[in-house]
Amino acid sequence: MPWSNQGGNDGGWQGGGGGNRGPWGQGPSGQQPPNLEDIIRKGQERLKDSLPGGGGGKLGFFIILMIAVVVWLASGFYKVETNEQGVVLRFGKEVATTQPGLNYHLPYPIETVLTPDVTKLNSVEVGYRINRSGSTVSVVAESLMLTGDENIVDIGFTVFWKIKNAGDFLFNVSNQTQTIKAAAESAMREVVGHTQLQSAITEGRLKIQTEVAARLQEVMDLYEIGVEVVQIQMKNSDPPSQVIDAFRDVQAAEADKERAQNEALAYANDIIPRARGEATKIRQEAIGYKQQVVAEAQGEAARFISIYDEYAKAPYVTRQRIYLETLQEVFQGKKKIIIDNQGGGQGVVPYLSLNELQKGRAK
Amino acid sequence: MAKSFSTVLAILVIAIGFTAASAMFTVNETEQALVMQFGKEKTVIQEPGLNFKVPFVQNVIFVDKRIIAVSTKREEVVTRDQKRLMVDSFARFRITNPLLYFQSFGNINVALSRIETILNSQLRQVLGREILTEIVSGERARLMDSIKDQVNTKTASRGIEIVDVRIVRADLPEANSQKVFDRMRSQREQEAKEIRATGAEAAQRIQANANRERTVLLAEAKKDGEITRGTGDAEKNRVFADAFGKDPDFFSFYRSMQAYKESMSNDDTTMVLSPDSEFFRFFDSQNQKTTK
Repeated sequence: MPWSNQGGNDGGWQGGGGGNRGPWGQGPSGQQPPNLEDIIRKGQERLKDSLPGGGGGKLGFFIILMIAVVVWLASGFYKVETNEQGVVLRFGKEVATTQPGLNYHLPYPIETVLTPDVTKLNSVEVGYRINRSGSTVSVVAESLMLTGDENIVDIGFTVFWKIKNAGDFLFNVSNQTQTIKAAAESAMREVVGHTQLQSAITEGRLKIQTEVAARLQEVMDLYEIGVEVVQIQMKNSDPPSQVIDAFRDVQAAEADKERAQNEALAYANDIIPRARGEATKIRQEAIGYKQQVVAEAQGEAARFISIYDEYAKAPYVTRQRIYLETLQEVFQGKKKIIIDNQGGGQGVVPYLSLNELQKGRAK
Repeated sequence: MAKSFSTVLAILVIAIGFTAASAMFTVNETEQALVMQFGKEKTVIQEPGLNFKVPFVQNVIFVDKRIIAVSTKREEVVTRDQKRLMVDSFARFRITNPLLYFQSFGNINVALSRIETILNSQLRQVLGREILTEIVSGERARLMDSIKDQVNTKTASRGIEIVDVRIVRADLPEANSQKVFDRMRSQREQEAKEIRATGAEAAQRIQANANRERTVLLAEAKKDGEITRGTGDAEKNRVFADAFGKDPDFFSFYRSMQAYKESMSNDDTTMVLSPDSEFFRFFDSQNQKTTK
């Protein structure tokens, strides 16, 4: 505002200098001109007061004027923090960018400075919000989108960006943050529209992130918004809540399959070693049998041979002895019925009741 | 006299300052300006900086120079294959000719609503010529470009340049979404069933293989066992044959004796005997001859 140019009148503001100038040096905000009539009237009063004072008064006026000018010039010093960049505007036109440290610009209203934070990593959430308690809430209207195979996927992501060019960022586009968000959403939907559902919720996520970042950067460059897209980070990429249980069931099915196979393997691992053991047992038993019968046969044969050797020395007697000994042993302690064949012995047999004999024995 | 002079001087200074102030104006980086004289356009200022005008006669209209956003509301669009899509989009534009812009729209709110209308109708036109899959997963960039070009032809004469048109959402209406959810669900169910069935299949195969292996192991073992037993029996027979072959007559006598002993060892045996047998040779008389 041209008001400050009236340096001459400022002198009238006794002791005004620094105190009143404060707001003027602050830049383009709040520069409502003070009440004109007030200033005119006050100025007139001061002039009236000072003029009759004579030469001394004139000198005082001059000193006050000089102080005012110095203070005005000094108001051009400003500090740019290490994370900031200074953008100097002369009558609204960008004339210089300044680096961190103490800098000087021509005082207001000739030049003003803006100091945006250029190192800060800003973030925009799309598809979800973080509420006050710190938990995330999905925003369905933003997060549900169609995939290339006409399924629906629920995606929440964050765009990390920073200012690449302070001037471009400040002056080229209105509503910068909203622009970044809308462009990011559009880019994500475009990329997901080319992706299959299965890929989007599993291994394709990384690819989607880099692709969206690249596409968003293209749009940002087209707008000359002066923004660098640092990263797209997907918070979630899931099937929609309406069908998530069916998807979980697929995972459960995978686990079931694994389990069934493991159980079968456990069964196999149980029975095959046992069968091997059983087989070994059968073979060993057979070998045992073979050795047994051979040994028995050899024993019996050896016994026969030793008896035979004895027999060979006195065949008749030995034979007779064996015969009698055997029958003695056989007949001993057994019921015997002796029937003479001669004299009707033959006729008795048919009447001999075998049943009676059996009964008698049972009693 | 001196007093009145200084008063006049002061008034003069103030008047000159005021006039100079109203003759100067700044145009910011984000702005462009139209200098109007009695309602008629005089100059267009697109460069930022300090500018001058004739005080009291001319006035200045500031117009945004930045890229401005306009978005459409969510609208149903019918595609060429008669499918419905809920589409919303946005455009980014810039006022390239402040004069034409001012003459056509007057202010930004009018401009926004008019551009939205144009964008909406062009969107419908372009999308109406495409099939759903092309819009969702095809070359969206191509569609957006062609919408942009069409909107541009309509707005260029109004001092506006469309920088970019983007389709944000292209979703199915609620009812169709439900169908998609149903389809997704049934696909997953089918998948889950198949996975479980293949699991059962694998389990059966493993078990059956194991059972077969067991059966074979046991059968092989039995075979080997029988062979071993057979050789054992053969060996036994050979040993017996070797031993008993020395005197077959004595062997049959001896073996018979053993058999009698073994087979009649049971106490319950009842014997019906004839006194004529060899055993009773001496039953009747002691003078029998040894050889009969």
